Amino acid sequence: MSSADRIKQYVLDEFLPGVAPEELEADYDLRANGVIDSLGLLRVVTWLEATFEIPMEEVEIVEQDFTSLTSITRFVELHSAAGQSDVDYLGKAA
Amino acid sequence: MPYSRSLLGCLADFARNRPESTALVMGGDRVSYAELCAMTMSAYNGLTALQLPSDARVALHAAKTPRTVALIVACLLARRPFMLPSTELGATALEELLEKADCTDVLTTEPGAGVGGLRVHKIDTTAVPPDGDLAGLDGITGPDVSPDATSFIFTTSGSTGLPKVVPLSFMAVERFTEWAVTKFRLRPGTVVLNYAPFNFDLCLLDLRATFKAGGTTVLVEPERATNGKHLAELIRTESVEVVQSVPMLYRLLADAYDGEPFETVTHVIVTGDKMPAKLLPELPRLFPNARFYNIYGATETNDSFIHEITGDLTAAGPLPIGRPLPGVAALVIDADGEVVDGPATGELLVSTPFQTAGYAVGGGADKFVERADGRVYFRSGDLVHRDADGVFTLVGRNDSQVKVRGVRVNLDEIEQVLLGHERIAGAAVVAVPDDVAGLVIHAVVRRDTTEPLGVLALRQFCRERLARAALPTTIRVVDDPLPTTSTGKTDRKAVIRDLLNGS
Repeated sequence: MSSADRIKQYVLDEFLPGVAPEELEADYDLRANGVIDSLGLLRVVTWLEATFEIPMEEVEIVEQDFTSLTSITRFVELHSAAGQSDVDYLGKAA
Repeated sequence: MPYSRSLLGCLADFARNRPESTALVMGGDRVSYAELCAMTMSAYNGLTALQLPSDARVALHAAKTPRTVALIVACLLARRPFMLPSTELGATALEELLEKADCTDVLTTEPGAGVGGLRVHKIDTTAVPPDGDLAGLDGITGPDVSPDATSFIFTTSGSTGLPKVVPLSFMAVERFTEWAVTKFRLRPGTVVLNYAPFNFDLCLLDLRATFKAGGTTVLVEPERATNGKHLAELIRTESVEVVQSVPMLYRLLADAYDGEPFETVTHVIVTGDKMPAKLLPELPRLFPNARFYNIYGATETNDSFIHEITGDLTAAGPLPIGRPLPGVAALVIDADGEVVDGPATGELLVSTPFQTAGYAVGGGADKFVERADGRVYFRSGDLVHRDADGVFTLVGRNDSQVKVRGVRVNLDEIEQVLLGHERIAGAAVVAVPDDVAGLVIHAVVRRDTTEPLGVLALRQFCRERLARAALPTTIRVVDDPLPTTSTGKTDRKAVIRDLLNGS
């Protein structure tokens, strides 16, 4: 599964139970529409840190990076230790 | 007597006598009293240059920055009534609110902020050099207005785009800050944490009272307000002494606790929401040198009751709100509307020296009642119990209002918004306890169609009509009728049971 797909699945499982994957557009505003509130954001950040090995201590957290699936994916690609490659992660639980 | 002159007087004195002392800290930035005065003068000049009609009210885009602080002080100096709407209101809701409140102009210090079709003015806070001559300060006195004139205009958080508009007079704010300065021993150099957003009346203590005393306010950046580790670091590095917050901050600090207590904190104020019983015993471990207070108040009345938390913090039962503040009168009204004396349970009516003279825009006049003693009381809607010693405890509400992280939200209003959707036949909105947030809102809606009704589109529908805090955390679409009580009302308890059982 690509980073984008894993992020989408996580957001659906965690914040939008019952919503079909095809319903959630990549640019749907997750913040303004109240899907991910500020506490939810904290959960997302913790998950990203663990899943994509992002050193959050060194990364500036800006709200705009978390407004949509597109922006979260871009954030991960920018900061993930392994995110620069197109190779999928192996052996890590989602 | 020019009332806000006393604030400027304080700022000007500190700027002259202790120009390097810090007024504000945000992120890595420190703003000295001299710099804050210069920023305020610049904002004042910008505001004056707009030549707004003398009775025009403005709305401030309340981004949490030192620049906004300077703009607020400038408005106070200019005797310009200003409203601080929530920065979390949706665009449609905000526009509607500003129109209703008769705000024609929006002032901002931030680039790029815009609000619908209203005139937005960018106010420059950098036009006056901070190291320059501060003599100009004495020239600023603003027009002489009555102490009863409006200064701050807050809005009750509310659920929909139409919160109540609550103007506070110069005098009411002055009396409140006097109390706060004395009670929490604010002095030159005292470091106070500001956790709440600027549109909350909690800022009157965090900022207004602190400036009056010559202290330092440490602003928590909104983006990092749920990051416990960051908050802990901030309190430590800035040697914060006074903390006022809804319980959530203490939950976040307790969760992030690394064994190193916050030694510098001397006053811990819990307000805005019920303190979870599980969290209370953790406070002395976090703040070994602090006194603890539970404060009760509403935007309409400001702080009204205080309870100093002492003794056994693991004691069962809810935390009392304590006794009325000096000058505050409180009545308990029974189901027949009669005042009851002694130990009693009923609705709380409260009258404070800090209260509003009434809502600025139509409606809600019945919330303020004049009693035989000649005082105007605010009907809080809160049910309280008063014990034989005169100590008050909150027991509930007489309506569907709940608090979500300190924000007043009305479940009925959210249901009405959902029912306004053409394909929704039934809606139940409930609040479910949550360890961190206190309460979270869930909605269950019954669709009036067999066609799919997308949750995502429904969220967009809500977002245009509801305040951010009132947006349900989950929305579930069902086809079966919602459970009702014997009187035909939606049975919220049954809905909560279903949600918790995951059925």
